Amino acid sequence: MGTELKSDSIIELLKRFLETDEGAEIKKKINLVYQFNIAPKKIGVNEVIYTVDLKKGEVTKGPYEGGKPDATFSLKDDDFFKLANGQLNPQIAFMRGALKIKGSLSAAQKFTPDIFPKPAKL
Amino acid sequence: MAMRDLVTGGAACAVSDTSSSSSNPLGALANALIGSSSKTQERLNEAPVSTPATSVNGFYQDTPDPMRGLPGAEFDHSLSQPNTQGSEFLRGFRSPDQNRFSDAWEEIHHSRFLPPQPNIPQFNQTPSAQLQPTMDGSPQTVLSSFLHSFIGSSHGRIPFCPTNLPMLGLSQGDKKCIRDRSSIMARHLFADQSEDYINAQVNALLSSLEIDGSVPAQGPFPRRLWELEEYWNESQGPLRTGLQANDRWIEEFSQHKAQRDDPDAWAHSFEQQYGANGWVSQFEQEQKVASMGQMRHANVSNMAAMEQTHMLAQTLAQNNDPKFQNSKFLQFVSKMSRGELIIDDNQVKPATLSSNGDWTTQYQQQYGGSSWAEEYVHDQLSHRPDQWVKEFTSGDQSKLVDDQWINEFSKLHVNDWVDEFGQQVEGAVGESSTDNWANAYDEYLNEQAASRQQSDASRGVYVFSDMNPYVGHQNPLKEGQELFRKGLLSEAVLALEAEVMQNPDNAEGWRLLGIAHAENDDDQQAIAAMMRAHEADPANLEVLLALGVSHTNELEQAAALKYLYGWLRNHPKYRTLAPPGLSDSLYYADVARSFNEAAEMSPEDADVHVVLGVLYNLSREYDKAITAFETALKLKPQDYSLWNKLGATQANSVQSADAILAYQQALDLKPNYVRAWANMGISYANQGMYEESIRFYVRALCMNPKADNAWQYLRISLSCASRNDMLESCDSRNLDLLQKEFPL
Repeated sequence: MGTELKSDSIIELLKRFLETDEGAEIKKKINLVYQFNIAPKKIGVNEVIYTVDLKKGEVTKGPYEGGKPDATFSLKDDDFFKLANGQLNPQIAFMRGALKIKGSLSAAQKFTPDIFPKPAKL
Repeated sequence: MAMRDLVTGGAACAVSDTSSSSSNPLGALANALIGSSSKTQERLNEAPVSTPATSVNGFYQDTPDPMRGLPGAEFDHSLSQPNTQGSEFLRGFRSPDQNRFSDAWEEIHHSRFLPPQPNIPQFNQTPSAQLQPTMDGSPQTVLSSFLHSFIGSSHGRIPFCPTNLPMLGLSQGDKKCIRDRSSIMARHLFADQSEDYINAQVNALLSSLEIDGSVPAQGPFPRRLWELEEYWNESQGPLRTGLQANDRWIEEFSQHKAQRDDPDAWAHSFEQQYGANGWVSQFEQEQKVASMGQMRHANVSNMAAMEQTHMLAQTLAQNNDPKFQNSKFLQFVSKMSRGELIIDDNQVKPATLSSNGDWTTQYQQQYGGSSWAEEYVHDQLSHRPDQWVKEFTSGDQSKLVDDQWINEFSKLHVNDWVDEFGQQVEGAVGESSTDNWANAYDEYLNEQAASRQQSDASRGVYVFSDMNPYVGHQNPLKEGQELFRKGLLSEAVLALEAEVMQNPDNAEGWRLLGIAHAENDDDQQAIAAMMRAHEADPANLEVLLALGVSHTNELEQAAALKYLYGWLRNHPKYRTLAPPGLSDSLYYADVARSFNEAAEMSPEDADVHVVLGVLYNLSREYDKAITAFETALKLKPQDYSLWNKLGATQANSVQSADAILAYQQALDLKPNYVRAWANMGISYANQGMYEESIRFYVRALCMNPKADNAWQYLRISLSCASRNDMLESCDSRNLDLLQKEFPL
């Protein structure tokens, strides 16, 4: 529990969200496969990998198995959290080197904070 | 290559371009190439010149001496003909440094062999079928086939004949574009021909299209010279104060000119650095992106500049020589061609004009942040730049390469010209997704300012408001409690801040302040305040629970678990349930078990169920969490924060419709509950009802303009609802306007 990432919650929320009608809309809109390599502290170290398949509307732990993801993002847990919340703009993250991108840049460009549902606050 | 044309073309743009753009991209391009990457400039000029300029072409011999035809040629005594372009270039920029520059230039020429002997270019002598343009069909077709015929003329080595065309109805922009592009293209196509020949060809084309060709076709005008000089001087200024790249270059050059032993070294080292195919794949990958956003916000002259470099890049890319493929120069050109880099003053800058330019910025910054030129110059030090020059100029040593150049230029995919243009014009209309990526710079700046504050708060440092009217109030705590009770959260915050400034150890002041912040939807500040309350009163259960909740909201699981466990340990009734010594290494399962025991022990205690509900939120067992909150609500139906917790849990388990009902309950009990308003917005947004969500966010923000999360969410909803027109008022936090636009 102590090693849980903030991203886990966001990813979980996204997973549930993708099962809804609105999630299906996102799927239709993006229709790409993203892979996220989320590092607790430092990019490339102890990464937790998630595959967000916005073609099928599935979120799975581990690298994408259906070939090559359209884009792979490597970033820190905190930055992922900020990104999903709209606190951090993907380009800015990229600019600062906080977000590394592999794969197609046009696919990467479609990755915006609005694909993530926002967590409600207790 | 024909940099002069980029230069003159650029000036032409400035002269004729009366559009909004006050800058001159082409001039700037040339300017920066000169200012910050003199060496490239050199190469750029060198390359085509090194190809045989004295073709045995019959037509060519009829043309007058190109030297005489070139304006300003009277100054040009010492340089031999194939160097015309380069020396022209140098003369064009009559800089203070001109002499040093020219010296270096002449060094190159005099130290190397005589002008290359004519290598008869192996052009395919295939008189193209396209030579006779089709004259009927739509203006588009006519223009297209006409341009093809122009291009075709380069294959056949037949001078292009002016033709009478039907009215094409070209706009000024079109004309300018064609004029600029054809000037550049002609230099590609007729790289082995004289300036005059090229000018004649271009003029023939332009006159057929009824375009005033005089501007680009004849050499520099005073105005242009003046302008270029301006640019040049401008570009010199910063350089001087900076690294003096220019001088360095010349020095380096002289240092290295003696060591031309291994012509491949430079290229090899690039190859080692970047891998043989690295560039190519990169280019392919980004090509798509570039073409999408490239033309979006670019003005016509930008387009021309980009197109020109694009052509160059394509040509170069076709060269299969790995040395070539890996050169940074090529990368630079290709970037420029995709509009990723523009040139301003003396700096290579990412294209901030175009919507996808931000990616470029990032790319470039990642690349090392320093200007490309600097990098380039730096590389030169170790990579012996002159080899490159030598390789392509000394025909006897590497004739093969020479031929390649010729072939490349003749193979130019000129047909793309027409097609591409059409595509890009189309592309400029669609694709709204790129809009989201615009404005990133502004955001970046805003964020920079905001992040300083935020980082303080996130470190748990409480950030006090400026200008607090309650400072000096007789009893700010009482006032704060009163305001809080009335639901005036932001006012209560101020009063309570005044209180804790007076009495920093007042646990109740801090606690209520924390609660007010939480209800105001600001968990960072809530945590900061609660930490102070916790310091003052470590056993306060409400504080511990609040800290657990706020950390849960911030997805800080370990911290949340710590405080929730602290709640159990400090509870007079349940502390026995908490196994001691656990606090160092907490396991969720252990904590949850203890709480379940507590709940069994006293099922009538609403608080236990509340904590349990929060715990289940942590583990994302939302169904259990919902049950726990519902149980608690049966015991405490008037607790608005409980209704909100229930709603939030339902929302997080994607039961947005139920969540809205719960929030409604909370708001009925406490109309100024900012958190519930914001949560409402979230629920609507998650259901794709962006317009509604905006109204709720705006409502929440009217009550607490400091709720940063709500601002961010509002921004996302605005762009999702295609209300980009209101983004600005969001960024400037203009609530009056937003409220007017989105009343609830």
